[in-house]
Amino acid sequence: MTWTDEELVAKSIRGDADSFNELVLRWERPIYALAYRTIGREEDARDVCQETFLRAFRALPGFRGQAKFSSWLYRIALNLCRDWMRRERRTPVVQPPEDVDLLELAAASEPSESIEDLVARKDLSRVVERAMALLPEEQRTAIVLKEYHGLTFQEIADLVGCPLSTVKTRLYQGLTVLRRELAKNPKTKGTIL
Amino acid sequence: MTDTLCGYANRDETIVGFLYDELDAGQRRDFNAHLLTCTVCRDEVAGLRAVRTQLARWEPPALASLQSPVPGTSRPAWWQAVPAWAQVAAALLFLGVSAGIANLDVRYDQNGLNITTGWMKPAPPKLATAQPSEGGTKLVTDQSPAAPWRADLAALERQLRTELHASQASSPAAPAVRAASSSDAETLRRVRVLLDESEKRQQRELALRIAEVVRDVDTQRKADLRNIDHTLGLVRNDLGVEVMKQRQSLNLLYRASQRQ
Repeated sequence: MTWTDEELVAKSIRGDADSFNELVLRWERPIYALAYRTIGREEDARDVCQETFLRAFRALPGFRGQAKFSSWLYRIALNLCRDWMRRERRTPVVQPPEDVDLLELAAASEPSESIEDLVARKDLSRVVERAMALLPEEQRTAIVLKEYHGLTFQEIADLVGCPLSTVKTRLYQGLTVLRRELAKNPKTKGTIL
Repeated sequence: MTDTLCGYANRDETIVGFLYDELDAGQRRDFNAHLLTCTVCRDEVAGLRAVRTQLARWEPPALASLQSPVPGTSRPAWWQAVPAWAQVAAALLFLGVSAGIANLDVRYDQNGLNITTGWMKPAPPKLATAQPSEGGTKLVTDQSPAAPWRADLAALERQLRTELHASQASSPAAPAVRAASSSDAETLRRVRVLLDESEKRQQRELALRIAEVVRDVDTQRKADLRNIDHTLGLVRNDLGVEVMKQRQSLNLLYRASQRQ
């Protein structure tokens, strides 16, 4: 039987540790992805992810279900990301592209994907990552929440605490900057109109 | 890319809503109609769709799970687990306090393992004395009120009072002093028996707890050794892979230099 988040939260509050375990397993990857795309560092994103669940666990008795559990988690994670950026006093770091390690890629590649395809895919991922790092934090957060987590405009507005129209404006401006940046890059300019 | 030369109302917000399919039916219909006539908006929508396609290519690195629970078990997770060292420290603290209270004496000699608590030592003379008091005897001890045999003593006192009253009622002519004297001797004897029994009980419980702690520490030690072994294995594997990579790189370089 699959429990809903709300049911698992209720059981966790009653002291069922396995239920919280289940919530962690269910949400650790999305939260990690959010943290990584927001702050751009693998280790720090993992720390943020772990801290998010730690704080959620401690604050669980106070969770009254006003918002969805996932929105609550996202809020905690975003606050931690902001703290991280404030502490580090810098914009998100994109890990510098290193020379492609063909052997590693070959080891990691699946049988259906050639090394060339894998290299190209990794390259494109890095290009997008670098372009995203150029965006102001608000625009990047809006795009990450919309594009990778499928939140509605209203959910994003509630989460980051700004008007609906501001969310749309941030998305538009962010996408426009990305369009310009990707059009400049030789690896992606052919795909951007 | 094209410059924005279109005066469509709330154009930017509408384009975003259109891209993410968050326009209501009327807005969507109107904007679709607009797109048929406006090249600027059509190009922009196409361009931003292409950006979205590229965004899908950004993959964060894989995350090893924060925890790996064993299905069907209730093993505490990292967010609530007490570290093994803390558990051992707590157990040792408990043992130390217990030993301090019980005056623990552990000996291992030709007679085997011998665990003695303070209660097994000969009782000091003032440990339990009887003082005459009105209506019978009153036990005076110098032990803590929390001593485990205190309840037994209280029960014994009640019993003795009852017996004393009964004997006084059955032989009213017997001298009160003689009755008190024989009662004191009996009280001391029975108190000693009670103390012996209580002491043996304590000894058994303590030995049991020590055995449990020793077993837990041993289990933890074995688990730690397994973990260390596993980690060393991983390091060895990584090292092996690294050496293999280096070797392959050198081979490639060698072949390339041969070709030149």
